[in-house]
Amino acid sequence: MKIKAKLEKDTTEVKLLLTSPMVGKEEAALKKVEVEFITHVTAKVNGKVVWEASTGPFLSKDPYFMFNFKGAKAGDEIVIDTIDSKGKTETGKAVIK
Amino acid sequence: MKRRKFLSLGAVVAAASVLPASLSATDFVVTAPKAWEAATSKEAIEALFGSAAMIDGQIEIKAPKLAENGGAVPIGIKSKLELTTIALFQDANPRSAVVVFEMPENGVVDLQTKIKMRKTANVTVVAKGKDGKLYSAVQKVEVSIGGCGG
Repeated sequence: MKIKAKLEKDTTEVKLLLTSPMVGKEEAALKKVEVEFITHVTAKVNGKVVWEASTGPFLSKDPYFMFNFKGAKAGDEIVIDTIDSKGKTETGKAVIK
Repeated sequence: MKRRKFLSLGAVVAAASVLPASLSATDFVVTAPKAWEAATSKEAIEALFGSAAMIDGQIEIKAPKLAENGGAVPIGIKSKLELTTIALFQDANPRSAVVVFEMPENGVVDLQTKIKMRKTANVTVVAKGKDGKLYSAVQKVEVSIGGCGG
């Protein structure tokens, strides 16, 4: 997981790159691989949810997201939690610059 | 006795402090499974948002007119409105729903992601505003090489 969080004036811009093959059932049957895609992503700052996404297998492989929110300060930590279709979770952290 | 009372109080406080975080997180894959199985954008939108009237022209979809790689088509969503739920649909894949974004508060509607599209199709964004109204936008994206593998 790669996270970049940059504060500009009062808005924080986050760029997020996750790692997942994002294989849905049709693609899995075709390529004879297991279904595996991220189903939910949550971004928190100071324990508060600032952005979240419920995701399906039609996002590109290794999904990329960019999002913006207000209310954070430089030095705050952003925490990203993901869970995939197999129940595997991952957590990433970055300091807002 | 006092200590026991104190401890049980602590457990209640801990439970209460955990609860709001789990309440604010809506996993639409769990809460609206029908929407993720729907083949067309229309069915998926109805499963997620119902069939209320939608307002056009307030959301901007930034997508290439011609995408060369259907495996990763960049889609941007911009709006000046305060939107709490933003869902992205397309008609190029076996099922329509791609992603549902949520921004509880302090959100700025300036999002980007990359999606798979195995053929030329319409991309639809439907969003719910803080005012409770529904907004939508549609844009056609031409794909020269499909990337879904399907």
